[in-house]
Amino acid sequence: MNPRPARTATSSTGRSSASQPEPDALALFEDFDAETQAPPAPARPEGRARRPAGRSDEPGLSPESAISVATLTLATRDIIEGAVEPLWVRGEVVGLKEHRKGHWYFTLKDENAQIRCVMWATDARRALAAPDEGMTIIALGKLTVFAARGELQLRVLRIESSGDGLWRKAFEKIHKKLEAEGLFAAERKRPLPLLPSCVAVVTSTDGAALHDIVSVVQRRCPITRVVVAHAIVQGEDAPKSLVTALHRVARWGQADVVILGRGGGSREDLWAFNDERVVRAAAGMPVPVISAVGHEVDVTLCDLAADHRAATPSAAAEAAVPRLTDLVRHVRRLGEDLRDCANAQVESARQRLAAAGVGIARAASHRVERGRLTLEGIAGRLHALSPLATIARGYAVLTDDKGETVTSSSALAPGDAFVARVRDGRIHARTERTELLGEDQVE
Amino acid sequence: MSFEKKVQRLEEIVRALESKDLSLEKGLKLFEEGITCLRDASAELSKAEAAVQVLRERTDGILEATDLRA
Repeated sequence: MNPRPARTATSSTGRSSASQPEPDALALFEDFDAETQAPPAPARPEGRARRPAGRSDEPGLSPESAISVATLTLATRDIIEGAVEPLWVRGEVVGLKEHRKGHWYFTLKDENAQIRCVMWATDARRALAAPDEGMTIIALGKLTVFAARGELQLRVLRIESSGDGLWRKAFEKIHKKLEAEGLFAAERKRPLPLLPSCVAVVTSTDGAALHDIVSVVQRRCPITRVVVAHAIVQGEDAPKSLVTALHRVARWGQADVVILGRGGGSREDLWAFNDERVVRAAAGMPVPVISAVGHEVDVTLCDLAADHRAATPSAAAEAAVPRLTDLVRHVRRLGEDLRDCANAQVESARQRLAAAGVGIARAASHRVERGRLTLEGIAGRLHALSPLATIARGYAVLTDDKGETVTSSSALAPGDAFVARVRDGRIHARTERTELLGEDQVE
Repeated sequence: MSFEKKVQRLEEIVRALESKDLSLEKGLKLFEEGITCLRDASAELSKAEAAVQVLRERTDGILEATDLRA
Protein backbone atom coordinates (compact mmCIF):
# COMPACT_ATOMS: atom_id res chain seq x y z
CA MET A 1 0.00 0.00 0.00
CA ASN A 2 1.31 3.40 -0.86
CA PRO A 3 1.43 6.32 1.52
CA ARG A 4 -1.66 8.34 1.07
CA PRO A 5 -1.97 11.97 1.90
CA ALA A 6 -4.29 12.89 4.70
CA ARG A 7 -7.78 13.63 3.71
CA THR A 8 -10.16 15.75 5.61
CA ALA A 9 -13.56 14.62 6.61
CA THR A 10 -15.84 13.91 3.75
CA SER A 11 -18.63 16.16 2.79
CA SER A 12 -22.09 14.82 2.80
CA THR A 13 -21.59 13.67 -0.75
CA GLY A 14 -18.57 11.60 0.25
CA ARG A 15 -16.58 12.87 -2.71
CA SER A 16 -13.51 13.84 -0.77
CA SER A 17 -11.29 11.44 -2.64
CA ALA A 18 -12.48 12.45 -6.06
CA SER A 19 -9.14 13.94 -7.00
CA GLN A 20 -6.93 11.33 -5.36
CA PRO A 21 -4.97 9.24 -7.85
CA GLU A 22 -5.49 6.02 -6.00
CA PRO A 23 -7.70 2.99 -6.21
CA ASP A 24 -11.16 3.68 -5.03
CA ALA A 25 -13.13 1.01 -3.32
CA LEU A 26 -16.47 2.09 -4.65
CA ALA A 27 -15.14 2.27 -8.16
CA LEU A 28 -13.89 -1.25 -7.77
CA PHE A 29 -17.27 -2.17 -6.43
CA GLU A 30 -18.58 -1.50 -9.90
CA ASP A 31 -15.58 -2.61 -11.91
CA PHE A 32 -14.88 -5.87 -10.07
CA ASP A 33 -11.27 -5.13 -10.73
CA ALA A 34 -9.40 -5.48 -7.50
CA GLU A 35 -6.24 -6.74 -9.13
CA THR A 36 -5.32 -3.81 -11.38
CA GLN A 37 -6.48 -1.19 -8.89
CA ALA A 38 -6.88 1.29 -11.70
CA PRO A 39 -7.96 3.68 -12.99
CA PRO A 40 -9.03 6.14 -10.30
CA ALA A 41 -12.62 7.01 -10.41
CA PRO A 42 -14.78 9.35 -8.38
CA ALA A 43 -16.14 8.00 -5.17
CA ARG A 44 -19.78 7.45 -4.91
CA PRO A 45 -21.93 8.59 -2.09
CA GLU A 46 -21.33 6.23 0.77
CA GLY A 47 -25.04 5.71 1.10
CA ARG A 48 -24.94 3.61 -2.00
CA ALA A 49 -23.21 0.74 -0.24
CA ARG A 50 -26.02 0.57 2.21
CA ARG A 51 -28.76 0.41 -0.27
CA PRO A 52 -31.57 -1.79 0.85
CA ALA A 53 -31.35 -5.38 -0.24
CA GLY A 54 -33.66 -6.69 -2.81
CA ARG A 55 -32.08 -5.69 -6.10
CA SER A 56 -30.14 -8.80 -6.95
CA ASP A 57 -28.20 -7.15 -9.77
CA GLU A 58 -26.36 -4.93 -7.28
CA PRO A 59 -22.88 -6.34 -6.40
CA GLY A 60 -22.84 -8.44 -3.28
CA LEU A 61 -26.56 -8.56 -2.85
CA SER A 62 -26.98 -12.01 -4.30
CA PRO A 63 -24.83 -15.09 -4.61
CA GLU A 64 -24.47 -14.31 -8.29
CA SER A 65 -23.09 -10.86 -7.68
CA ALA A 66 -20.70 -11.85 -4.84
CA ILE A 67 -17.85 -9.40 -4.40
CA SER A 68 -14.15 -10.10 -3.79
CA VAL A 69 -12.51 -9.71 -0.39
CA ALA A 70 -10.45 -6.87 -1.78
CA THR A 71 -13.54 -5.07 -2.86
CA LEU A 72 -15.04 -5.50 0.57
CA THR A 73 -12.02 -4.33 2.52
CA LEU A 74 -11.31 -1.44 0.21
CA ALA A 75 -14.91 -0.37 0.36
CA THR A 76 -14.72 -0.56 4.12
CA ARG A 77 -11.56 1.48 4.05
CA ASP A 78 -13.21 4.17 2.04
CA ILE A 79 -16.21 4.27 4.29
CA ILE A 80 -14.06 4.56 7.39
CA GLU A 81 -11.71 7.12 5.90
CA GLY A 82 -14.63 9.14 4.73
CA ALA A 83 -16.41 9.01 8.05
CA VAL A 84 -13.70 9.90 10.56
CA GLU A 85 -11.61 13.04 10.75
CA PRO A 86 -7.98 12.80 11.91
CA LEU A 87 -8.02 12.26 15.66
CA TRP A 88 -5.56 12.65 18.50
CA VAL A 89 -5.19 9.27 20.19
CA ARG A 90 -3.36 8.53 23.41
CA GLY A 91 -1.75 5.16 23.93
CA GLU A 92 1.34 3.20 24.79
CA VAL A 93 3.78 2.35 22.03
CA VAL A 94 4.50 -1.32 21.55
CA GLY A 95 6.73 -3.13 19.08
CA LEU A 96 7.95 -0.21 17.02
CA LYS A 97 9.77 -1.34 13.90
CA GLU A 98 11.46 0.96 11.49
CA HIS A 99 11.31 0.01 7.84
CA ARG A 100 14.52 0.51 5.92
CA LYS A 101 12.83 3.30 4.00
CA GLY A 102 12.07 5.12 7.23
CA HIS A 103 8.43 4.11 7.81
CA TRP A 104 7.48 3.25 11.36
CA TYR A 105 5.16 0.39 12.25
CA PHE A 106 3.91 0.03 15.79
CA THR A 107 0.92 -0.72 17.96
CA LEU A 108 -0.81 1.75 20.22
CA LYS A 109 -2.45 0.11 23.16
CA ASP A 110 -4.00 0.62 26.49
CA GLU A 111 -5.43 -1.83 29.00
CA ASN A 112 -8.38 -2.87 26.93
CA ALA A 113 -7.57 -2.33 23.31
CA GLN A 114 -4.94 -1.89 20.70
CA ILE A 115 -4.62 -0.61 17.18
CA ARG A 116 -1.96 -1.08 14.56
CA CYS A 117 -0.29 2.13 13.46
CA VAL A 118 1.81 3.18 10.54
CA MET A 119 3.78 6.41 10.20
CA TRP A 120 5.14 7.02 6.73
CA ALA A 121 8.75 8.12 6.40
CA THR A 122 7.82 11.66 5.36
CA ASP A 123 5.91 12.10 8.61
CA ALA A 124 8.31 10.08 10.76
CA ARG A 125 11.17 12.31 9.66
CA ARG A 126 9.43 15.33 11.15
CA ALA A 127 8.98 13.62 14.51
CA LEU A 128 11.38 14.63 17.29
CA ALA A 129 12.47 11.07 17.86
CA ALA A 130 11.22 7.53 17.62
CA PRO A 131 9.22 6.70 20.75
CA ASP A 132 10.62 4.08 23.07
CA GLU A 133 8.88 0.83 23.88
CA GLY A 134 6.18 1.47 26.43
CA MET A 135 6.31 5.25 26.03
CA THR A 136 2.93 6.90 26.20
CA ILE A 137 2.40 9.15 23.24
CA ILE A 138 -0.32 11.22 21.70
CA ALA A 139 -0.68 10.50 18.01
CA LEU A 140 -2.62 12.44 15.42
CA GLY A 141 -3.85 9.84 12.98
CA LYS A 142 -6.35 8.99 10.33
CA LEU A 143 -8.27 5.82 10.74
CA THR A 144 -8.03 3.50 7.78
CA VAL A 145 -8.07 -0.17 6.84
CA PHE A 146 -5.02 -2.12 5.86
CA ALA A 147 -6.66 -4.20 3.17
CA ALA A 148 -3.91 -6.80 2.82
CA ARG A 149 -4.58 -7.90 6.38
CA GLY A 150 -8.11 -6.72 6.82
CA GLU A 151 -6.90 -4.74 9.84
CA LEU A 152 -8.06 -1.48 11.24
CA GLN A 153 -5.06 0.84 11.12
CA LEU A 154 -4.17 4.31 12.32
CA ARG A 155 -2.13 6.23 9.83
CA VAL A 156 -0.16 8.51 12.15
CA LEU A 157 0.69 12.00 10.95
CA ARG A 158 2.27 13.45 14.06
CA ILE A 159 3.31 12.20 17.45
CA GLU A 160 3.93 13.99 20.70
CA SER A 161 5.03 12.46 23.93
CA SER A 162 2.66 12.65 26.82
CA GLY A 163 5.49 13.84 29.09
CA ASP A 164 8.93 15.07 28.05
CA GLY A 165 10.03 11.63 26.89
CA LEU A 166 10.34 12.43 23.22
CA TRP A 167 12.04 15.77 23.84
CA ARG A 168 14.57 14.17 26.13
CA LYS A 169 15.19 11.37 23.71
CA ALA A 170 15.66 13.71 20.79
CA PHE A 171 17.89 15.98 22.86
CA GLU A 172 20.06 13.09 24.00
CA LYS A 173 20.37 11.70 20.52
CA ILE A 174 21.62 14.99 19.02
CA HIS A 175 23.71 15.71 22.09
CA LYS A 176 25.47 12.38 21.83
CA LYS A 177 26.15 12.80 18.15
CA LEU A 178 27.53 16.34 18.37
CA GLU A 179 29.50 15.63 21.50
CA ALA A 180 31.18 12.74 19.73
CA GLU A 181 32.20 15.22 17.04
CA GLY A 182 33.73 17.45 19.69
CA LEU A 183 31.38 20.37 19.10
CA PHE A 184 31.01 21.03 22.81
CA ALA A 185 34.69 20.60 23.72
CA ALA A 186 36.19 23.15 26.09
CA GLU A 187 39.18 23.63 23.76
CA ARG A 188 36.86 25.05 21.12
CA LYS A 189 35.75 27.90 23.37
CA ARG A 190 37.19 31.21 22.28
CA PRO A 191 37.72 34.22 24.53
CA LEU A 192 35.37 37.12 24.04
CA PRO A 193 36.86 40.36 22.68
CA LEU A 194 37.59 43.07 25.24
CA LEU A 195 35.93 45.82 23.26
CA PRO A 196 33.87 44.69 20.27
CA SER A 197 33.20 47.45 17.82
CA CYS A 198 30.18 45.54 16.53
CA VAL A 199 27.89 43.02 18.22
CA ALA A 200 25.57 41.00 16.00
CA VAL A 201 22.36 39.78 17.57
CA VAL A 202 20.56 36.83 16.04
CA THR A 203 17.04 36.92 17.40
CA SER A 204 13.59 38.15 16.54
CA THR A 205 13.31 41.90 15.97
CA ASP A 206 9.91 41.65 17.68
CA GLY A 207 11.12 39.94 20.84
CA ALA A 208 11.86 41.34 24.27
CA ALA A 209 15.34 39.80 24.09
CA LEU A 210 16.47 42.34 21.51
CA HIS A 211 15.21 45.23 23.60
CA ASP A 212 17.07 43.92 26.65
CA ILE A 213 20.31 43.43 24.76
CA VAL A 214 20.19 46.83 23.09
CA SER A 215 19.48 48.66 26.33
CA VAL A 216 22.33 46.93 28.16
CA VAL A 217 24.83 47.59 25.35
CA GLN A 218 23.80 51.22 25.07
CA ARG A 219 24.07 51.71 28.81
CA ARG A 220 27.42 49.96 29.23
CA CYS A 221 29.18 50.70 26.00
CA PRO A 222 27.33 53.07 23.70
CA ILE A 223 30.18 53.17 21.18
CA THR A 224 29.59 49.52 20.28
CA ARG A 225 27.41 49.03 17.27
CA VAL A 226 24.52 46.57 17.55
CA VAL A 227 23.37 44.89 14.36
CA VAL A 228 20.37 42.59 14.42
CA ALA A 229 19.94 39.66 12.08
CA HIS A 230 16.27 38.83 12.38
CA ALA A 231 15.22 35.23 12.79
CA ILE A 232 12.07 33.36 13.65
CA VAL A 233 12.86 31.88 17.05
CA GLN A 234 10.12 29.34 17.57
CA GLY A 235 8.00 26.95 15.59
CA GLU A 236 8.66 24.77 12.62
CA ASP A 237 10.37 27.48 10.57
CA ALA A 238 12.68 28.60 13.35
CA PRO A 239 15.67 26.30 12.73
CA LYS A 240 16.01 27.25 9.09
CA SER A 241 15.51 30.91 9.87
CA LEU A 242 18.11 30.88 12.66
CA VAL A 243 20.62 29.12 10.44
CA THR A 244 20.05 31.64 7.66
CA ALA A 245 20.52 34.56 10.05
CA LEU A 246 23.73 33.08 11.50
CA HIS A 247 25.11 32.49 8.03
CA ARG A 248 24.20 36.03 7.07
CA VAL A 249 26.19 37.40 10.01
CA ALA A 250 29.15 35.15 9.16
CA ARG A 251 29.09 36.23 5.52
CA TRP A 252 28.78 39.90 6.44
CA GLY A 253 31.95 39.56 8.49
CA GLN A 254 31.87 42.82 10.44
CA ALA A 255 30.69 41.54 13.79
CA ASP A 256 33.28 40.85 16.50
CA VAL A 257 30.94 38.77 18.62
CA VAL A 258 27.49 37.22 18.13
CA ILE A 259 24.65 36.93 20.60
CA LEU A 260 22.26 34.11 19.70
CA GLY A 261 19.09 33.87 21.67
CA ARG A 262 15.57 34.66 22.70
CA GLY A 263 13.64 35.30 25.86
CA GLY A 264 12.36 32.51 28.02
CA GLY A 265 9.73 30.07 26.95
CA SER A 266 8.53 26.53 27.23
CA ARG A 267 10.67 23.62 26.20
CA GLU A 268 8.76 23.50 22.97
CA ASP A 269 9.31 27.21 22.34
CA LEU A 270 13.05 26.81 22.78
CA TRP A 271 13.33 23.63 20.78
CA ALA A 272 14.85 25.29 17.71
CA PHE A 273 17.97 25.93 19.80
CA ASN A 274 18.41 22.17 20.07
CA ASP A 275 18.06 21.64 16.35
CA GLU A 276 21.15 20.02 14.95
CA ARG A 277 21.40 22.49 12.05
CA VAL A 278 21.21 25.48 14.37
CA VAL A 279 23.75 24.02 16.78
CA ARG A 280 26.14 23.32 13.93
CA ALA A 281 25.72 26.82 12.52
CA ALA A 282 26.40 28.33 15.95
CA ALA A 283 29.50 26.18 16.44
CA GLY A 284 30.76 27.10 12.98
CA MET A 285 30.67 30.86 13.42
CA PRO A 286 33.96 32.63 12.64
CA VAL A 287 33.66 34.87 15.72
CA PRO A 288 32.80 34.00 19.32
CA VAL A 289 29.15 33.23 20.02
CA ILE A 290 27.30 33.98 23.24
CA SER A 291 24.13 31.98 23.69
CA ALA A 292 21.26 33.45 25.63
CA VAL A 293 18.30 31.16 25.45
CA GLY A 294 15.52 31.45 27.95
CA HIS A 295 15.71 32.23 31.60
CA GLU A 296 15.54 29.19 33.80
CA VAL A 297 14.90 26.23 31.57
CA ASP A 298 17.29 23.40 30.88
CA VAL A 299 20.43 24.00 28.95
CA THR A 300 20.05 23.94 25.16
CA LEU A 301 22.53 22.43 22.75
CA CYS A 302 23.26 25.92 21.44
CA ASP A 303 24.32 26.84 24.97
CA LEU A 304 26.76 23.94 24.93
CA ALA A 305 28.13 24.77 21.49
CA ALA A 306 28.52 28.50 22.14
CA ASP A 307 31.78 30.03 23.29
CA HIS A 308 30.02 31.59 26.23
CA ARG A 309 26.68 30.85 27.83
CA ALA A 310 24.53 33.51 29.43
CA ALA A 311 21.39 32.88 31.43
CA THR A 312 19.48 35.77 29.93
CA PRO A 313 19.75 38.13 26.96
CA SER A 314 20.74 40.92 29.36
CA ALA A 315 23.53 38.77 30.81
CA ALA A 316 24.68 37.99 27.28
CA ALA A 317 24.94 41.70 26.51
CA GLU A 318 26.92 42.26 29.70
CA ALA A 319 29.32 39.52 28.67
CA ALA A 320 29.59 40.93 25.16
CA VAL A 321 30.60 44.50 25.98
CA PRO A 322 32.70 46.03 28.76
CA ARG A 323 31.59 48.96 30.84
CA LEU A 324 33.04 51.83 28.89
CA THR A 325 33.79 53.89 32.00
CA ASP A 326 35.88 51.00 33.37
CA LEU A 327 37.81 50.84 30.17
CA VAL A 328 38.38 54.58 30.06
CA ARG A 329 39.68 54.42 33.63
CA HIS A 330 41.94 51.51 32.78
CA VAL A 331 43.43 53.23 29.76
CA ARG A 332 43.88 56.46 31.69
CA ARG A 333 45.71 54.58 34.43
CA LEU A 334 47.91 52.92 31.83
CA GLY A 335 48.72 56.35 30.47
CA GLU A 336 49.69 57.54 33.95
CA ASP A 337 51.78 54.44 34.48
CA LEU A 338 53.47 55.06 31.18
CA ARG A 339 54.39 58.64 32.10
CA ASP A 340 55.47 57.62 35.58
CA CYS A 341 57.66 54.92 34.15
CA ALA A 342 59.17 57.24 31.59
CA ASN A 343 59.84 59.85 34.25
CA ALA A 344 61.38 57.23 36.47
CA GLN A 345 63.56 56.13 33.57
CA VAL A 346 64.74 59.67 32.89
CA GLU A 347 65.29 60.33 36.59
CA SER A 348 67.27 57.14 36.96
CA ALA A 349 69.34 58.07 33.92
CA ARG A 350 69.97 61.52 35.41
CA GLN A 351 71.09 59.97 38.66
CA ARG A 352 73.37 57.63 36.81
CA LEU A 353 74.78 60.57 34.92
CA ALA A 354 75.33 62.57 38.12
CA ALA A 355 76.98 59.62 39.80
CA ALA A 356 79.19 59.18 36.78
CA GLY A 357 80.18 62.90 36.98
CA VAL A 358 81.21 62.56 40.59
CA GLY A 359 83.21 59.49 39.75
CA ILE A 360 84.97 61.22 36.91
CA ALA A 361 85.85 64.21 39.10
CA ARG A 362 87.15 61.95 41.82
CA ALA A 363 89.16 59.94 39.38
CA ALA A 364 90.53 63.12 37.88
CA SER A 365 91.55 64.63 41.23
CA HIS A 366 93.20 61.38 42.15
CA ARG A 367 95.29 61.62 39.05
CA VAL A 368 96.31 65.18 39.84
CA GLU A 369 97.37 64.19 43.33
CA ARG A 370 99.44 61.38 41.98
CA GLY A 371 100.98 63.77 39.45
CA ARG A 372 101.82 66.20 42.18
CA LEU A 373 103.60 63.56 44.21
CA THR A 374 105.44 62.40 41.14
CA LEU A 375 106.40 65.95 40.41
CA GLU A 376 107.68 66.44 43.94
CA GLY A 377 109.83 63.35 43.58
CA ILE A 378 111.23 64.65 40.34
CA ALA A 379 111.77 68.05 41.85
CA GLY A 380 113.68 66.49 44.71
CA ARG A 381 115.86 64.60 42.38
CA LEU A 382 116.26 67.69 40.25
CA HIS A 383 117.20 69.66 43.30
CA ALA A 384 119.73 67.04 44.32
CA LEU A 385 121.31 67.35 40.93
CA SER A 386 121.30 71.16 40.93
CA PRO A 387 124.74 72.84 41.04
CA LEU A 388 123.28 75.17 43.62
CA ALA A 389 123.29 72.26 46.04
CA THR A 390 126.99 71.77 45.38
CA ILE A 391 127.58 75.47 45.99
CA ALA A 392 125.60 75.13 49.22
CA ARG A 393 128.08 72.54 50.38
CA GLY A 394 130.96 75.17 50.17
CA TYR A 395 131.96 75.02 46.52
CA ALA A 396 132.11 78.11 44.27
CA VAL A 397 131.62 78.57 40.53
CA LEU A 398 133.99 81.02 38.82
CA THR A 399 133.01 83.08 35.83
CA ASP A 400 135.32 85.42 33.90
CA ASP A 401 134.50 88.96 32.95
CA LYS A 402 132.59 87.62 29.86
CA GLY A 403 130.40 85.44 32.08
CA GLU A 404 132.06 82.22 30.89
CA THR A 405 132.52 79.53 33.50
CA VAL A 406 136.17 79.10 34.37
CA THR A 407 137.05 75.41 34.33
CA SER A 408 140.81 75.69 33.57
CA SER A 409 143.70 77.58 35.29
CA SER A 410 144.76 78.64 31.83
CA ALA A 411 141.53 80.59 31.27
CA LEU A 412 142.78 83.37 33.52
CA ALA A 413 145.96 85.41 33.49
CA PRO A 414 147.36 87.35 36.44
CA GLY A 415 145.38 90.54 36.85
CA ASP A 416 142.20 89.16 35.15
CA ALA A 417 138.99 89.88 37.03
CA PHE A 418 136.55 86.98 37.82
CA VAL A 419 133.47 86.41 39.93
CA ALA A 420 133.13 83.61 42.44
CA ARG A 421 129.48 82.47 42.95
CA VAL A 422 129.03 81.12 46.46
CA ARG A 423 125.93 79.94 48.44
CA ASP A 424 124.70 83.38 49.42
CA GLY A 425 126.35 85.82 46.97
CA ARG A 426 129.20 86.72 44.63
CA ILE A 427 132.82 87.64 45.33
CA HIS A 428 134.47 89.95 42.77
CA ALA A 429 138.22 89.26 42.66
CA ARG A 430 141.46 89.52 40.53
CA THR A 431 143.89 86.76 39.53
CA GLU A 432 147.23 86.94 41.32
CA ARG A 433 148.88 84.02 39.56
CA THR A 434 147.88 80.71 37.87
CA GLU A 435 149.36 77.23 38.25
CA LEU A 436 148.82 74.17 36.10
CA LEU A 437 148.64 70.89 38.02
CA GLY A 438 150.13 67.62 36.85
CA GLU A 439 147.97 65.06 34.87
CA ASP A 440 147.57 62.78 37.88
CA GLN A 441 145.86 65.50 39.89
CA VAL A 442 143.24 66.37 37.20
CA GLU A 443 139.77 64.72 37.46
CA MET B 1 45.62 46.55 15.61
CA SER B 2 42.52 45.87 17.70
CA PHE B 3 41.75 47.86 20.81
CA GLU B 4 42.63 44.79 22.82
CA LYS B 5 46.04 44.46 21.18
CA LYS B 6 46.76 48.12 21.79
CA VAL B 7 45.93 47.84 25.47
CA GLN B 8 47.97 44.66 25.74
CA ARG B 9 50.93 46.36 24.05
CA LEU B 10 50.54 49.30 26.36
CA GLU B 11 50.61 47.03 29.38
CA GLU B 12 53.72 45.32 28.02
CA ILE B 13 55.43 48.65 27.50
CA VAL B 14 54.64 49.79 31.03
CA ARG B 15 55.99 46.51 32.38
CA ALA B 16 59.17 46.86 30.31
CA LEU B 17 59.67 50.43 31.45
CA GLU B 18 59.18 49.40 35.04
CA SER B 19 62.12 47.05 34.82
CA LYS B 20 65.21 49.12 35.52
CA ASP B 21 67.67 47.38 33.25
CA LEU B 22 66.69 49.22 30.13
CA SER B 23 68.84 51.66 28.20
CA LEU B 24 67.59 55.22 28.11
CA GLU B 25 67.43 55.12 24.34
CA LYS B 26 65.36 51.92 24.35
CA GLY B 27 63.18 53.33 27.10
CA LEU B 28 62.43 56.50 25.17
CA LYS B 29 61.61 54.50 22.08
CA LEU B 30 59.18 52.36 24.09
CA PHE B 31 57.68 55.45 25.64
CA GLU B 32 57.00 56.94 22.23
CA GLU B 33 55.35 53.72 21.11
CA GLY B 34 53.33 53.67 24.33
CA ILE B 35 52.11 57.20 23.75
CA THR B 36 50.96 56.24 20.25
CA CYS B 37 49.10 53.19 21.60
CA LEU B 38 47.58 55.29 24.32
CA ARG B 39 46.38 57.94 21.90
CA ASP B 40 44.84 55.33 19.57
CA ALA B 41 43.16 53.43 22.38
CA SER B 42 41.77 56.61 23.89
CA ALA B 43 40.47 57.65 20.48
CA GLU B 44 38.54 54.39 20.20
CA LEU B 45 36.94 54.96 23.55
CA SER B 46 35.71 58.39 22.56
CA LYS B 47 33.95 57.33 19.40
CA ALA B 48 30.42 58.56 18.75
CA GLU B 49 27.48 56.56 20.02
CA ALA B 50 26.43 53.86 17.60
CA ALA B 51 22.91 53.27 16.38
CA VAL B 52 21.08 49.95 16.37
CA GLN B 53 20.92 48.50 12.91
CA VAL B 54 19.38 45.56 11.12
CA LEU B 55 21.35 43.31 8.83
CA ARG B 56 19.35 42.82 5.67
CA GLU B 57 20.07 40.94 2.53
CA ARG B 58 19.23 42.85 -0.61
CA THR B 59 17.71 41.09 -3.59
CA ASP B 60 21.12 41.17 -5.28
CA GLY B 61 22.54 39.20 -2.36
CA ILE B 62 24.52 42.10 -0.88
CA LEU B 63 24.25 42.41 2.88
CA GLU B 64 23.72 45.84 4.36
CA ALA B 65 23.13 47.17 7.84
CA THR B 66 20.44 49.83 8.02
CA ASP B 67 19.04 51.66 10.99
CA LEU B 68 16.41 49.66 12.85
CA ARG B 69 13.87 52.44 13.06
CA ALA B 70 14.39 53.70 9.54
